[in-house]
Parts: sequence; structure tokens; C-alpha cells
Amino acid sequence: MTNSAPWVGSAAVLLAAALMFAGPASAALTDGDNACLGCHGQEGLQKTFGKGESLPLRVDGAAFEGSVHAPLGCAACHSDVELKTHPAAGKSFDSVRAYSVAKAAVCEQCHEDAFKQHEGSVHAKRMREGSALAPTCTGCHGAHAVTPKTAYQTCVGCHSAALAAHQQWLPNAALHHEVVSCAACHAPAALRMVDLRLHDPATKTWAAEKAGEPWFEKLARSVDANGNGLDARELLDLVKRINPAGSAAPKAFRGRIELRSNVEAHRLSDKAAAIRACDVCHREGAEPFRNVVVSVAGPDGRPLRHAAQQEILGAASAVVSLPEFYAIGGTRSPLLDVLFVVALLGGAGFPLGHMAVRWLFRKYRASRE
Amino acid sequence: MTDMQRIYVHPLPVRIWHWANALGFIALILTGVQIRYVDLIGLMSFRAAVSLHNWVGWVLVGNFFIWLGFYLFTDKIRVYHPELSPVKHFRDSFRQLQYYGYGIFKGDPNPHHLSAYHKFNALQSMAYQIIMLLLVPLQFVTGVLLWDLKRFSGAVEFFGGVRVVDTVHVLLFIFFTAFILVHPYLASLGHTPSAHFKAMITGYEEVDE
Ligand code: HEC
Ligand code: HEC
Ligand code: HEC
Ligand code: HEC
Ligand code: HEC
Ligand code: HEC
Ligand code: HEM
Repeated sequence: MTNSAPWVGSAAVLLAAALMFAGPASAALTDGDNACLGCHGQEGLQKTFGKGESLPLRVDGAAFEGSVHAPLGCAACHSDVELKTHPAAGKSFDSVRAYSVAKAAVCEQCHEDAFKQHEGSVHAKRMREGSALAPTCTGCHGAHAVTPKTAYQTCVGCHSAALAAHQQWLPNAALHHEVVSCAACHAPAALRMVDLRLHDPATKTWAAEKAGEPWFEKLARSVDANGNGLDARELLDLVKRINPAGSAAPKAFRGRIELRSNVEAHRLSDKAAAIRACDVCHREGAEPFRNVVVSVAGPDGRPLRHAAQQEILGAASAVVSLPEFYAIGGTRSPLLDVLFVVALLGGAGFPLGHMAVRWLFRKYRASRE
Repeated sequence: MTDMQRIYVHPLPVRIWHWANALGFIALILTGVQIRYVDLIGLMSFRAAVSLHNWVGWVLVGNFFIWLGFYLFTDKIRVYHPELSPVKHFRDSFRQLQYYGYGIFKGDPNPHHLSAYHKFNALQSMAYQIIMLLLVPLQFVTGVLLWDLKRFSGAVEFFGGVRVVDTVHVLLFIFFTAFILVHPYLASLGHTPSAHFKAMITGYEEVDE
């Protein structure tokens, strides 16, 4: 069964119409891409599938232009489309879902790692088991407006009941969702890290570099004189330089638990394997706290990162340099540990010493009675 | 030890508050240590320690108001009235220190004479006021903020951030750990080692005529 048959006769008419009504062509895209958008930039085109479902064929040209794939052009993913035979030669599918799954296979060509990880994920497994809702690549990233902006926002779009489910067993669940990325718990095999992101209290969002005005990497490198990652003093210096004396609303680093490699965000496991033991994080030297970076959002949303040493998390100076990040266990301060031991020894030592002196004086007291 | 008179120094609400507070403090210290040192101690799981710590914390916050309410609404608050003459207060404190650090060894009498409205010596009166009106409330406030950082994010920010709040909480915890070790020992320095403990149970202290 072919859906394209009705189009064969009218292809020429359509082509003419497209050329007449085409919107302003984008200078940033190639002529080939603009030709495609000549038809696909319009409302109204749609494709009908075997089961009677239909798919709107409009592609938002402006969004595509702003996407990571804009330089690649339409042809990078739609090499099967030949303008001469198109749209007549289009393949047919039973459903929008079948079409979507088949098309997402193209991502593998360039993102083999992500593809492989995803294949082993709970979503791919559910899809193979017949779930009509479990996402493929485009379910989380979309197809034509892919940006490096975090894809985690999409999780709650489908899992709107997730927060309530976590509240059943996770104390302060809302706070955990804010500071721990979903994959840090749901990709248990992946390695984690502490990402200290600069937060701007004036705008109440993450501080971001403006396009064409890079400063963060240069500043971080100049502060990190020996290039071995920021130590406690260097971090203090960095914070001071970011907030010159008298800053009304000083920016501060806020910590998040992220994966060390974003690709591993695809290794999502079944919920039974997800991390639920508190002390994976809440213990001294916990795995996520052994790798620390400071970061600022780049102009495209991709984080610009600079390595930092693990010891900055528990340093005494963190009260000043990291006032807004503290997680029990992972950020424990050795100085407070020492004070605690002193308090224990002093608290036990005073009674024992005092008792000993009283005992030494016992005869003297008896003689005075 | 001839003629002993019994005077009522610890009214019932104070005794209830005191023992609940003592047990609570010990529980908070143990669970606090467990929360902080999961890698070293295994009294209970981290999760159990957190939830026990929070429950006991709230009970003690309530308990604190028994203490505060009792003193605010009875004339017993006079036991905490400060000595208005700084010179006298200073002299009394010094004498008391001298007694604990020297006189007690020689068998000198305790310079402080207890009565119903004068149950604390100068050192105690000052130390307890600092502890009960400053340190304990600060421990409670920081604890409550840490209990729900999101709900209290405004207050946390006001205090300078979660790290600051937690550091204050831990510094006070360190102080209270030393306190809980020294306090019972000092309480055993009455005319008999168990005298003050009994008094905190019965309410009556025995004093020389
Ligand atoms: C003359 C207008 C026109 C132009 C130009 C055009 N298309 Fe299409 N295209 C259509 C129509 C009409 C359909 C619907 C075909 C159907 O229902 O099977 C379609 C379907 C599609 C589909 C979905 C069906 C399938 O076969 O996968 C894709 C993808 C597509 N076009 C991509 C492109 C690309 C890429 C270009 C530029 C190289 C392009 N189109 C240029 C009219 C056009
Ligand atoms: C990064 C790969 C990629 C690029 C680049 C790309 N597409 Fe697509 N396109 C896809 C995928 C994947 C789908 C299937 C989406 C789905 O699940 O519906 C798709 C679907 C389509 C469809 C069918 C309607 C729809 O939204 O599903 C049209 C039409 C289309 N693309 C046109 C274009 C045009 C025009 C361009 C260039 C401006 C372009 N594509 C660039 C991957 C790409
Ligand atoms: C022809 C090769 C190619 C194909 C096919 C392709 N991509 Fe990409 N993709 C790229 C390139 C190149 C980048 C940009 C990398 C960069 O800027 O560092 C990129 C970037 C990305 C990013 C952002 C990475 C980041 O750094 O945050 C995502 C997400 C992404 N692609 C998803 C997809 C998805 C989903 C598909 C399938 C619909 C797809 N890609 C198909 C080449 C491709
Ligand atoms: C369940 C949602 C989901 C699905 C399905 C998914 N991704 Fe991702 N993807 C993510 C998340 C989350 C990230 C982490 C980066 C971020 O957005 O913060 C990510 C990151 C990426 C990156 C950037 C990696 C890097 O090194 O920065 C690429 C490329 C990518 N995905 C491609 C794909 C491809 C190809 C597929 C299909 C095989 C796919 N994704 C399926 C959620 C998903
Ligand atoms: C397009 C919708 C969609 C998106 C986006 C999505 N999921 Fe899912 N997810 C599903 C579906 C459907 C299932 C299968 C549910 C089932 O079988 O009950 C699922 C299953 C899961 C499960 C397994 C639950 C279980 O019962 O074992 C986890 C964990 C999960 N998703 C996490 C995520 C995370 C994390 C993200 C974001 C990176 C995400 N999902 C994005 C639709 C989605
Ligand atoms: C602190 C670790 C942690 C974080 C962070 C986390 N999860 Fe979970 N999640 C779990 C665990 C553990 C379970 C399994 C709970 C159970 O078995 O009842 C779970 C269960 C789920 C389920 C299945 C819920 C159900 O109804 O049974 C979904 C869906 C899910 N998580 C999605 C997410 C999403 C989306 C995010 C990010 C917004 C996220 N999780 C963040 C640990 C986490
Ligand atoms: C008065 C005696 C108390 C002591 C000795 C004490 C001790 C401690 C200690 C040692 C920690 C670990 C901190 C760290 O490692 O960073 C802690 C954490 C915490 N305390 Fe207390 N605390 C006391 C009272 C309270 C009160 C009254 C509350 C309020 C409910 C409270 C709530 C918390 C919270 C919420 C935490 C963070 C860990 C958690 O979620 O339980 N504490 N406390």
C-alpha cells in the first residue's frame, strides 16, 4: 500500500505553489535546505499513514537554524529524499510511531556511543517489549530543534508523577530533584561528579556567558596558576574576581550531581536498579565527590568547565567560597572533625583529670576534717 | 552533715523538661554522629539516623517551649535573674571558679548557698542563660532550616547559605557533645555524688541549715 500515489499527479502543481508561497529564505541555510523549507516551512502539509493517522510536515526553519545540526543541513539526515522524485517516492509506514522509530535510526550514523548506550536502556527495552510511548532519540531531543540545552526537562514531561513517587521514599525529594540529575541515580553504572555552577541571584538563574564575550575559561586558567585544578585558595580567588568588592548581589557556585560524561545519560536502568542508598553520596569520599568542576553556562547553553580539586569541598574557606553548596558526607570538613575529637577528649578528659586531682588530695582533705 | 533541710528547687515541669531534654540530646548526638560519620559507625542506617534525628529534634523543640513557658509564666524566672551588680557577679563567678579549680580539692565549703530562688551559682546562672537563650535556640533554628532547605530557602539565604547554617549546627553540636560529658560530672559534685541527681528526680534539694 502506498500513500504517495495521490500525489504523483499533483506534484508539479504543488512545486509551483511552493515556489510562489515560500517564505523568506534563510541566509544561514544552504539553498538546498531553503528549497526543502519552501514546502516544509508551510502549514498544512501532512502525510497520512496506513492506519489513518496523519503527521504534520511543517518544520520550523528558524528553530532548525538555531539547532546544533543546522550546519549539516537537511540532507545529512534525509539523504533518501531526492527533490526530483520527492515526494512521490516516499516510503509508507503503518503509523506515526513506526515512522518515528524508523527515522530515529539515522542518529546512530553520527552518535554511535549514545545510540549503543540507549539500546541497553530501560526505554529501548520497553520499546522492544511493545511500549508505544517509550522514547527513541527524538522522544527526548526532538528532531529539528536539537540544542545542547539539557534534555532532562523532557523527563518530567512524560514522568509527571515522578516527584510524587520519589516523595514516598526520598526525604526532601524536591530538593534532590533540583540538585541531582535524574541519570545520576537512574544510570547507576555511570560515573558521577560535582558540577559547581555559577548562579546569579540577581536574575535567579544560572549565570551565562554572552556570545562574543568569553571570560570564564580565561579567568579560571589565570587563577589556576599551576594548571592542576583549582585548590581552596584559588577558588576563593576566583570567587573574589567574579564578585569585585562591593558587588550588591554576589554570584555564587551551587553544586549539582551530574554525570562525568553526558553520553552515559542514556544508560538508564530499570527502576529496581536505580540508586536509592543515601550513602552512595552521603559519606566521606563518596564517588560523586571525587571529581569536581566549576562551570558557567556557555552562550549555547553548553557548560564551560574548569577542573577543581576534591579538597575544596571540605576546606574551611568553603564557608566563604562555597556558601551555597553543602551535602552531608561528601563535603565534610576535616577541621570540624578535629574540633569534634578535641571536644570529645576535652569533655572526657576534664572529669577524669579533676577526679584524679581530687583523689590525690583525699588524704589532705581527711586530715582537715 | 547534721541538720539537713529539704527545699523544693525543681518544679515538675522543669524536671520533665530536663530529663526529656537530656535523653533527646543524647539521641541527637548519637544520630548526628551517625549522620556525619556513616563511614566510621554503624549504629543504624543513614536513612534511619536522619529520620530519627528529625523526629527527636522536633520533640525537643516542643520540649524547649515547656521550659520557656514555665519560666515566662511563673515567678520562678527569678532563679535566672542576673546579678545586677557586675562587680558582685564577677566576684561570685571568680570564687566559684576558684572553688572548682582549687578549694574543692582542699575540702573548702562551696561558696554558693542554695535557696528556692537562688538555685544556681553565678557561673551556672550565666552559662545556662547563654545555653538556653542563645545556643539551644540557634541549634534548633539551624536544625529546622536544614530539615527543609527548600521551604526555608529565604531564611537560609539570609543566614548566608546552607554551608553557613550547617557549620553553625555542627559547631554547636561539638559544643553540646563536650557539654553532655562535663555536665553530669559537675552535677556529681554536690554534698554527695548523687545528691543533685536525686534532686532533679524528686524536686527536693537537701541543704545545711
Ligand atoms: C514540492 C514541495 C516539497 C519540497 C520542495 C520538499 N518536500 Fe518533502 N514532502 C512534500 C510532500 C507533499 C510530502 C508528503 C508525501 C507523502 O504524503 O508521502 C513530503 C514528505 C516529506 C517527508 C516525510 C515522508 C518521508 O518520505 O519521509 C520528509 C522527511 C521530507 N518530505 C523531507 C524533505 C526534504 C529533506 C526536502 C528537501 C530536500 C523536501 N522534503 C522537499 C513536499 C515537498
Ligand atoms: C539531525 C537529523 C535531521 C535533520 C538535520 C533534519 N531532519 Fe527532518 N527528520 C529527522 C527525523 C529523525 C525525523 C522523524 C521525526 C519524527 O519522529 O516524527 C524527521 C522528520 C522530518 C519530516 C516529517 C515531519 C516530521 O516532523 O516528522 C520532515 C518534513 C522533515 N524531517 C524535513 C526536514 C527538513 C526540511 C530539514 C532541513 C531543514 C530536516 N528535516 C533536517 C531528522 C532530521
Ligand atoms: C550527520 C551527522 C549527524 C547526525 C545524523 C545526527 N547528528 Fe547530532 N550532532 C552532530 C554534530 C556534528 C553535532 C554538534 C557537535 C558539537 O557541536 O560539538 C551534533 C550534536 C548533537 C547534540 C548536542 C550534543 C551536545 O554537545 O550537547 C545532540 C543532543 C544530538 N546531536 C542529537 C542528535 C539526534 C537526536 C539525532 C537524530 C535525530 C542526531 N543528533 C543526528 C551530527 C549528527
Ligand atoms: C530518555 C531521554 C533520552 C533519549 C531517549 C535519548 N537521549 Fe540523548 N541525551 C539525553 C540526556 C538527558 C542527555 C544529557 C545531556 C543533557 O541534556 O544534559 C543526552 C545527551 C545526548 C548527547 C550529547 C552527549 C554529549 O557528549 O554531550 C547526544 C549526542 C545524544 N544525547 C544523542 C542521542 C541519541 C543519538 C539518542 C538515540 C539513540 C538519544 N540521545 C536518546 C536524553 C536522551
Ligand atoms: C516520551 C516520553 C518519555 C520521556 C521523554 C522519558 N521517558 Fe522514561 N519512560 C517512558 C515510558 C513510556 C516508560 C515505560 C513505562 C512503563 O513501562 O511503565 C518509561 C520508563 C522509565 C523508567 C523505568 C520505570 C520503571 O518502572 O522501571 C525510568 C527510570 C525512566 N523512564 C526515566 C526517565 C528519565 C530519567 C528520562 C529523562 C532523561 C525519561 N525517562 C524520559 C517515557 C518517557
Ligand atoms: C536520588 C536518586 C534519584 C533521583 C535524583 C531520581 N530518581 Fe527516579 N527513582 C529513584 C529510585 C531509587 C526509584 C525506584 C523507587 C522504587 O522502587 O519505588 C526511582 C523511580 C523512578 C520512576 C518510577 C516511578 C514509579 O512510579 O515507580 C521514574 C519514572 C523515575 N524514577 C524518574 C525520575 C526522573 C524523571 C528523575 C529526574 C527528575 C528522577 N527519577 C530522579 C531514584 C532517583
Ligand atoms: C540539640 C542537639 C542537636 C545536635 C547535637 C545535633 C547534631 C547534628 C549533627 C552532628 C548533624 C550532622 C551535620 C553534618 O554532618 O553536617 C546534624 C544534622 C542535622 N540536624 Fe541536628 N542536632 C541537634 C538538633 C537538631 C534539631 C532540633 C533539629 C530540627 C529538627 C535538627 C535537624 C537536623 C537536620 C535536618 C540535619 C541534616 C541531616 C538531616 O537531614 O537529618 N537537629 N545534627
